[in-house]
Amino acid sequence: MNPVRLVTTGGALAYRALFNWTTPAMYAGTLLAGPAFQLIFFAYLGRQLQVADDRFFIVGNAVLAASTACVFGGTLAVGNERRYGTLGHVLLSPRSRTAIFAGRVLPYAGNGLLIAAFTLTVGTAALGLRIPLAALPGIVLALATGSLACAFFGLTLGAVGLRFRDVWVVSNVAASLLLLLTGVNVPRSGLPPWMATVGEFLPITHAAEAARTLAAGRGFGAAAPALGAELLVGTGYALLAVLLLKIFEAESRRRASLETL
Amino acid sequence: MTTLRMLAIGTLLHAKHLSRSPFEVAMALIVPLVQATLAVHLFRSGDGSHRLIEAAVGAGLMGIWASVLTGSGGAIQNQRWQGTLEMIMLAPRRPVTVILPITAATAVTGMYALLATLAWGRIVYGIRIELAHPAAFLAAAVACVLGLGMFGLLLASTFVLLRNANALANPLDYPIWLLSGMLVPITVLPSWTLPVAAVLPTTWGARALREATVGGPVWPSIGICLAIGAVCLVVGGYCLTVFERRARVTATLALS
Amino acid sequence: MDSEHTLTAPSPPPPALSPSTRAGSDFAIEAEGLSRTYRTRTGWLRPRLQTVDAVRGVDLSVRRGELFGLLGPNGAGKTTTIKMLNTLLIPSAGTARVGGYDVVTQTREVRRRIGYVFGGDRGLYDRLSGLDNLRYFAELYAVPAREQKRRIAELLELVGLRGREGERVEGYSRGMRQRLHIARGLLHRPEVLFLDEPSIGVDPVAARELRRTVAGLAANGTTIVLTTHYMAEADELCDRIAVIAGGRIQALGTPAELRRRADGRRVLEIEAYGVPDAALAALRELPGVRETAVEARGTQQLLTVQSDTDVDVQGDVLRELSGIRLGRVTSREPTLEDAYVAIVNAS
Repeated sequence: MNPVRLVTTGGALAYRALFNWTTPAMYAGTLLAGPAFQLIFFAYLGRQLQVADDRFFIVGNAVLAASTACVFGGTLAVGNERRYGTLGHVLLSPRSRTAIFAGRVLPYAGNGLLIAAFTLTVGTAALGLRIPLAALPGIVLALATGSLACAFFGLTLGAVGLRFRDVWVVSNVAASLLLLLTGVNVPRSGLPPWMATVGEFLPITHAAEAARTLAAGRGFGAAAPALGAELLVGTGYALLAVLLLKIFEAESRRRASLETL
Repeated sequence: MTTLRMLAIGTLLHAKHLSRSPFEVAMALIVPLVQATLAVHLFRSGDGSHRLIEAAVGAGLMGIWASVLTGSGGAIQNQRWQGTLEMIMLAPRRPVTVILPITAATAVTGMYALLATLAWGRIVYGIRIELAHPAAFLAAAVACVLGLGMFGLLLASTFVLLRNANALANPLDYPIWLLSGMLVPITVLPSWTLPVAAVLPTTWGARALREATVGGPVWPSIGICLAIGAVCLVVGGYCLTVFERRARVTATLALS
Repeated sequence: MDSEHTLTAPSPPPPALSPSTRAGSDFAIEAEGLSRTYRTRTGWLRPRLQTVDAVRGVDLSVRRGELFGLLGPNGAGKTTTIKMLNTLLIPSAGTARVGGYDVVTQTREVRRRIGYVFGGDRGLYDRLSGLDNLRYFAELYAVPAREQKRRIAELLELVGLRGREGERVEGYSRGMRQRLHIARGLLHRPEVLFLDEPSIGVDPVAARELRRTVAGLAANGTTIVLTTHYMAEADELCDRIAVIAGGRIQALGTPAELRRRADGRRVLEIEAYGVPDAALAALRELPGVRETAVEARGTQQLLTVQSDTDVDVQGDVLRELSGIRLGRVTSREPTLEDAYVAIVNAS
């Protein structure tokens, strides 16, 4: 059996089954308009309080825009299995857990990239920011890396959600913490050191930094270390998610702690 | 008199019902604290470090609005899911008197956010809660609850009439925060936004709270906030009557 | 109490024992030609309109103080009929009056006089206590403040929830929720009570309690419209029963009258395992056989064959079923349920 098929077709099917948000109105409202409004809010707040220039807020919030789709998507990818009572059946599958859940993450990451690109376009057009054309491929790469890392972060939250009754509290709080700790809206120099340190281990932080470096026209070489860091963070969450799912699965067989099995 | 009593008891019981949802309480307490922290650090990074109490009050008000927006947007949908919409619409009352307590309750539970951000500011950031007009602050807070509750009723009634409006209105928290100047009055906004802001009860509620905090003529703002709220109530009441009639034709009160 | 007074009376509705004589009618409910069509839209990009005729011309009149049953299979139109009578739905055609008031235009007047209880565990505020639920609805239904305490205590006693009223509804069993529903429906002493499958999912002991409560209400003069799937319940409680199927009333009468529809018949019950459809079809063709029905009971099937009394079909039936593993075979008099099956199958 072809693992590529499990990742792609399985992932796409799971996306349709579990991401029950995607009515056109929901998509336009929550995933497109929401991040755009957020960007404009912080850009004007930044202008008013003279915190930083427009580029700081526009590029940062565009990278962060992927997080809503990715964090809530990841939560739904596991959480809805529990709601529909299908998790037990998925875990009974003889296939590799890693392939199953990696397949789930990819559509969310792709969706996140789309939203981030849209938000960046709207933000630059609405507030009149010019980004050097040569920087665009790099910026798209930064957005993609951030989305992927964020999707794995969402999957981790989903796994954590298996053990909590209210997954939505976990993901809502996580989404708002990203707003604070990733340095997207408050320059990280303005955050207390411990908050900045936590931010180092969150998705988006390094991708936003890389995208800002690129948007400032400082070239791919200057942004590469930050991009690498973001990839590292994403890989970390991927491993953590798989580990948590394995632990919870083993535990549930011993103690019947997942109500789904 | 019996109507007033019904509105009061209805609001209290709906607020009680909301307060017992771990999700609602967590959202009303935790997210505004994150927002308040964000606001404090934004103020400190920029030129607002001398007005941190405004950050705490503003973040609290943002929390109230978030509660009203999600709560009112979903007010009728939630009742539908619980199967209680038919039961309450069957009461021999005007629809507006049945729905208003629900949206008012979301503003009441939103008050947790204001209390939480003030306590957080005091404890974590040592912000001294010195209010220019403590009594007027209380009045402004009550006016915010009433004004936002009535605004919520207008939202709830338009959301049920327009298909999918709820989903489209989901992201309305940021624009209202921005236009109403909840955290700080934004003087750098394009001038066309001024008339929009002027008709929002949230603008005047935020202004009243700020004036009570740092000084200013609180009462005119309270009056305008309540007056706009009353207009929302009348329009919303009309929409709900239309909705009730239409729902009986289209069979959309129940889930099935 | 004259009609003018009733019209202008403020909140307290007239008690059930002094029915208003508005329009001089003896009927609590009158309906003529009630019909209801549902339109549903499916599909996002290319919406398709589908119309379903749920109720197609129902005429009913229910006398004051009568306990009236509405029986029918799922999707027959029972709930739709009830919802048109209790103002929740506007009929596509036809008219109905409750207590002399039109259900489409005089909703406030109708709503003051009716109570509505539906089966199942939804429709309550789960995170509030039973008492808070009742207090809230007492306000909504304009029960005067000074009467509320006494009325609520009385109802808690009636439905047997006294002592549990302080607990949150989310911890209630299904039967308790059902009883709370009933207490809620009675808060304002309605003249007419609509009970839509109140015993659904309730255990047998609780169901018996429920029947006793309903019978007691009827004895006190409340008009009751009851829908149910349980034949025994309808047989025991109802003064008259309407069997509704396919959106039309197929039969109407007292339980005894309906039972007589199956007069001149015998019923043969056979326990069997794995009866093929072909054998069933063959049974239906046998001379003297009027109805057949199969009910699955685990691996077992219960086969019911109704036949004319003067033809002994047992031999023929068993011959058709030869080679199939059979259990007990019994022959008996028809019940209301058999009459019901005959009516519904004939529709």
